[in-house]
Amino acid sequence: MTFRQLAYRNVLRNRRSYAAFLLASVVSVMVFFIYSMFIFHPLFEGAQLQFFALRGMLIAEVVLYIFTLFFLFYSMSAFLQARSKEFGILIQLGMTKKQLNKLIFFETVILGAVSTVTGIVFGYAFTKLFFMIGREIMQLEQLPLYVSWKPFALTIAAFASLFLIISFISVSFIRAKKVLELMKGFWREQEETTVSKFLSLLGFVLLGYSYTQAALVTDENVYQMAFIIPPIATLGTYLFFTHSIHSLLSFSKRSRKLYWHKTRLVAIAETSAKLRDSAQMFFIVTIVSTVAFLAVGTLASISSYTGDFRQSNPLGLIYISFEGNEAEDAHIEGLINELEERKLAYDLVTFEVKRQTSSQTGNIVDILAEDEFNRLARSLSFEAVNLGAGQAMFVPYSIESREQLEGVEVETELIESGVELEIDAVHPSIMFPIHTLNYNSIVVSMEDFETMDEPVNGLTLEQSTYTYYAFDVRNWEETSGIGSELSSVIEAAAESGNYSGLNFFFENPGDDYRWFQSSFALLLLIGLMVAVVFLLAAGSFIYFKLYTGLEQDRKQFRLLVHLGMTEKELKKVVNRQLVPQFFLPWALALLHSVFAFVSLQIVWDEFAQLSILDELVIVLAGFTALQIFYFFLIRWRYIAHLQAS
Amino acid sequence: MALLKIDEVTKVYEGKVTRRALNQLSFEVEKGEFLAVMGPSGSGKTTLLNVISTIDSLTSGEITIDGVDPHALTPDELALFRRRELGFVFQDFNLLQMLTVEENLVLPLTLDYIKTDEMARRVLELAKRLGLTPFLHKRPNELSGGEAQRTAIGRALIHKPTIILADEPTGNLDSKTSREVLSLLSRVSNEENATIVMVTHDPIAASYCDRVLFIKDGEFFNEIYSDERQQTFYQRILNVLSLLGGNVNDLSATRLP
Repeated sequence: MTFRQLAYRNVLRNRRSYAAFLLASVVSVMVFFIYSMFIFHPLFEGAQLQFFALRGMLIAEVVLYIFTLFFLFYSMSAFLQARSKEFGILIQLGMTKKQLNKLIFFETVILGAVSTVTGIVFGYAFTKLFFMIGREIMQLEQLPLYVSWKPFALTIAAFASLFLIISFISVSFIRAKKVLELMKGFWREQEETTVSKFLSLLGFVLLGYSYTQAALVTDENVYQMAFIIPPIATLGTYLFFTHSIHSLLSFSKRSRKLYWHKTRLVAIAETSAKLRDSAQMFFIVTIVSTVAFLAVGTLASISSYTGDFRQSNPLGLIYISFEGNEAEDAHIEGLINELEERKLAYDLVTFEVKRQTSSQTGNIVDILAEDEFNRLARSLSFEAVNLGAGQAMFVPYSIESREQLEGVEVETELIESGVELEIDAVHPSIMFPIHTLNYNSIVVSMEDFETMDEPVNGLTLEQSTYTYYAFDVRNWEETSGIGSELSSVIEAAAESGNYSGLNFFFENPGDDYRWFQSSFALLLLIGLMVAVVFLLAAGSFIYFKLYTGLEQDRKQFRLLVHLGMTEKELKKVVNRQLVPQFFLPWALALLHSVFAFVSLQIVWDEFAQLSILDELVIVLAGFTALQIFYFFLIRWRYIAHLQAS
Repeated sequence: MALLKIDEVTKVYEGKVTRRALNQLSFEVEKGEFLAVMGPSGSGKTTLLNVISTIDSLTSGEITIDGVDPHALTPDELALFRRRELGFVFQDFNLLQMLTVEENLVLPLTLDYIKTDEMARRVLELAKRLGLTPFLHKRPNELSGGEAQRTAIGRALIHKPTIILADEPTGNLDSKTSREVLSLLSRVSNEENATIVMVTHDPIAASYCDRVLFIKDGEFFNEIYSDERQQTFYQRILNVLSLLGGNVNDLSATRLP
């Protein structure tokens, strides 16, 4: 057996304890690779939606990389500590420190190679599926599988560097220890740590404080609290697992009637020993799960962000024609044809907008006529206006602008035509999307409108008026793609920043809505995959702890059989032992997330009337189902291993 | 009337190599008797203890404990039987690390719905008798070997079992502590009329018993009864062992499961 074979066989024969760890690494590589496949797709070069999503994927890749680094760091240190007895024997047999380092280095390299290769193979196998999902979400015609060296190179480079870092660091984990300490083994070292009453109380107080603060958060202090609550809750969680929970358990041990009862004695004692042994691990699992819940929950709630969009974009299609636009009739006809082709009911309101200069501010003001304004308002079932001569009303372009203009009273004169106006109200609804009208827009009575016949200084009369075509489409979500030729002209102008020579403007909110929707859906998908990696990693910690304690547990199991425990009672003990290990961190993470979402709801309320409850229930229920499945899987394996003697 | 009756018991391990661990072994143990079972390694001592304790099944033959054939019981009845009728003492103590001495002692009782007051009373009484009172709230890893084994014996006694099965109880102890533990077992046997079957390879340990049964290759070899003086009994045990052929010293103290 050569030295390298020893390393290889160590990994191969420890495969059971490496299993969950490998699974988490493989999935991490796989997800990273799939993102890379998206990022390097030849189809996504320059397009806007894709750019947004790709940036999300890039961020997700960085997050994955950093997380995997920490995950591997923690797991490797736990692995090596669990195997310290083995290393002690090797050193006693005359292995030098240098050789031992080499051995660990080889093992880590083997593990890294296996997980990277397996991850990429599975990643490539699943890419087609994810491309199909991505194609659906992004509304693309096609998203074919392609072959390129780039995603492979990126993934291999990323994880090769990662595993190299880990193999160098992991060597240092056992450097300092003495042979005798190694021989004694790691798990025996855990002495009874004293539980501080003060710290356990502090743990509860900190958690309680964070929860109440999160629940009572208001619009004013929400941003401030976003920096205060998380660190406090994290500290509280740490104290909860290192102190509070043990105080609670020893309190429950005090009542013999409760404690000295059937299987409870063994179950409670065992649980408290396990919780104590790996308090830090439970803390990490809780925090990682909380982050995963929060990430997915937030993304899910963002993707339901539609109410606000509709409110600020009530119109189906908007076409504005400026002076000298010869294609006006052809464009409108084209749009109407496209709407009719799709059998979309619409209502077209055409009106003239005049431009004048306000003496009050010196700015250009866009002016609408009362009758035309009311026609559109009725069509959209908004409130009509009734204005007398000399009276005017602000037309808001967003919810914020409406709030700002509320209660503002202005007396002004339109310089060109000399019309004096008193503006004392704001229209309650947003009818025209931002950018389609001037920021300063008002509606005036018919007679005032007609007297405005002087152009703005330096412009012709034609130049200081324009025609606004407002299409009210009932099924506005379905207009995506209508007027795509016009959209691309506008887009090209926007990109080059050169609007000269462009004598029309076109906007299709349905397109933008699609864009919103698919970007968020894509972000959700990205977040979900990262969360799955997080949760698998959290599960692998628990699996590992169970596995390294298996020998001890099996011995106990045999003793309990000797003492006359029935199979049913044994299963009960195993259940009572496993349930807290699996669900305590999970339940705490869930509780954390619920309170975090209560705060988030307040933030959302501020700029969008939006309830995130539905999305959250779905997200959290999904994770619960996943966790229960994982629990039963592990329990099945655990009991099988216990009974095998 | 014999309390434990072993009748023509045979145990065959099927496998790649079929091995006959016990071969038509028969003997009886009276109530209150302290019996030692000796034999070289591989003679079937541990298998014998396992089939008596119902952890292992029989190939043929019959075992009755106090008139009950435990091998005819259903798994649940069997668990109840072990819980109430049997007490165990192991070579490596097998105390539950996460329980205190007191909790380890009451463990058999908690399984059986005994009232808490009754449990507490029995623990105190037993601890006094075994000299465990100062250690009641300590963990097993804070105990010396002798204290740990006394705790284990206490756990085997607390539910007043019909029969106590001990597997090399002194295997992990030094000679002084071994003597303490053996005197304790023999005192328990005398004062409480408890029935004890102890497997051992140590002739000194065997010399504390009322009778020593020797087995070889799973078969009955010889048996001798104690006499007035422990010293002469010890000498006679050594004589039988030399007849048995195996060297006492090559019996390994630690066995792999």
